Amino acid sequence: MAAADSPSATLRRRDLCSRGIRLAGKMRSDVIDLLDTYVERQGLDASASVAVVEGVPAAAVEHWDEQSGTQRLLENLAAYRTFRTLLAQMLEEQREQLGEADAGLGRALAAVLLQVSAFAYHLEELLRLESRGAPSEEEAGPPQPLHLGLFERKLRGLGVLRELAQWAVRSARDLRQLAKPSLGSSSALSTAESP
Amino acid sequence: DSHVQYERVGADVTMKCGSMDWDAAVTWMTNGTDIDESHQNGSYLILKKVNLTQSGQYSCYEGSSWHLKYQTSLRVGMPPKEPVLMCRSNNYPKGFYCSWHLPTPTYIPNFFNISVVHGTREMVCEKDTFPKNRCHIRYLQLFSTVKYKVTLTVTNALGKNSTTLTFDEVAIVKPDPPESVVAKPVPNNPRRLEVSWQNPSSWPDPESFPLKFFLRYRPLILDQWQHVELSDGTSHTITDAYAGKEYIIQVAAKDNDIGTWSDWSVAVHATPWTEEPKHLTTEAQITETTSASTSSFMPPPTTKICDKGAVLGS
Repeated sequence: MAAADSPSATLRRRDLCSRGIRLAGKMRSDVIDLLDTYVERQGLDASASVAVVEGVPAAAVEHWDEQSGTQRLLENLAAYRTFRTLLAQMLEEQREQLGEADAGLGRALAAVLLQVSAFAYHLEELLRLESRGAPSEEEAGPPQPLHLGLFERKLRGLGVLRELAQWAVRSARDLRQLAKPSLGSSSALSTAESP
Repeated sequence: DSHVQYERVGADVTMKCGSMDWDAAVTWMTNGTDIDESHQNGSYLILKKVNLTQSGQYSCYEGSSWHLKYQTSLRVGMPPKEPVLMCRSNNYPKGFYCSWHLPTPTYIPNFFNISVVHGTREMVCEKDTFPKNRCHIRYLQLFSTVKYKVTLTVTNALGKNSTTLTFDEVAIVKPDPPESVVAKPVPNNPRRLEVSWQNPSSWPDPESFPLKFFLRYRPLILDQWQHVELSDGTSHTITDAYAGKEYIIQVAAKDNDIGTWSDWSVAVHATPWTEEPKHLTTEAQITETTSASTSSFMPPPTTKICDKGAVLGS
């Protein structure tokens, strides 16, 4: 395992970061398209304001510029693991509610779910690179599905997709921070923190 | 007693000469000039449908003793209309500023109060000393889906008005135009121009918040712009310029992921490289120059999207 600081590790990290940035960019544009489809198919108002949705990782963060590289990666990974579970739940609910009536929405949801899973794996790869390793899945803990009415579930889905779109922007920024030459040393990826 | 009196344009104004009785003999003056007695009703001064020119100092003197009994500064004006408010982030992710103006003047002093709320949190808007009608807000949180609500209230002696803006963090991101735009001919390349520029100096972290650019260029002799979008880098080589024609070139910027395009940069001009005319000495050489063909026009395609790496054209 290459030391976190070795030139090859730095190159590998930069490569993973730039691929992750592109993946985040693609994911964001797909999520925005999915949002439009979701709002339309679920009969929601695009400007509806959704209060903070319980169990959905908020992308909003304070003192973002002061975060260490590890903190960024760990927070990102925890979020995308949660989104993976949330999107799987949404897909399940969507199939129960609409069946094959709206296969288009289902396919779009499934495509984004795939990208979220790929991005989570990408983050795990980055964490492995710094010989810290990614926290095991249990630590993250999937959110328990709530018993909500149909409209609440639709609003919740809207909240999930909106936060995911924001996370995609945040992740691209985080990865650019990680890819900065000035952040090449392991101090930027301090191993002290845990989520 | 002396004080300021605000009245609306078109209003009828009545001034009492301090504690003097209605039938007391008095003289009214404005800015040192007697006011015609037709404006008086007893010792009262009556001004019908006042206009802006009637703003000024009004004084009332007791008839015989010329004691000053009353003085006021009349200020004729208007209540404020709904103010125009604009918020923008040109230094994302540091913060954003809001600026405002009144659509029409009021001619009397106005007082502005701005409140910025993010979710349930009231944020501080630090006022600029100049220009006065602007203040800055620091982002305490980034990547938030919670909207910002900015309410501007304007008050003057004749009325009050307000306006409210609600927006997402990302929607108001608009960089300043690129700076230091330079366009140069490329020696020995009659159809090329090399354009370079810099990130706007107000953009704090181009590494984590990279900008993409939009370049537009046209020969001065044509009205149709050609455009090319560049997803990274701060230079581009135009390869399809008309030989020998002067070009005008501008660049705009946008955050790679969010917000809107900046205004166009300052325009720069450049003419592609042309071969130096040879110094002719013999008869043959003179006839050779008169039969030289003129350059032909071929209108190129208009819009191109390309990465910095892929340079199109010859």
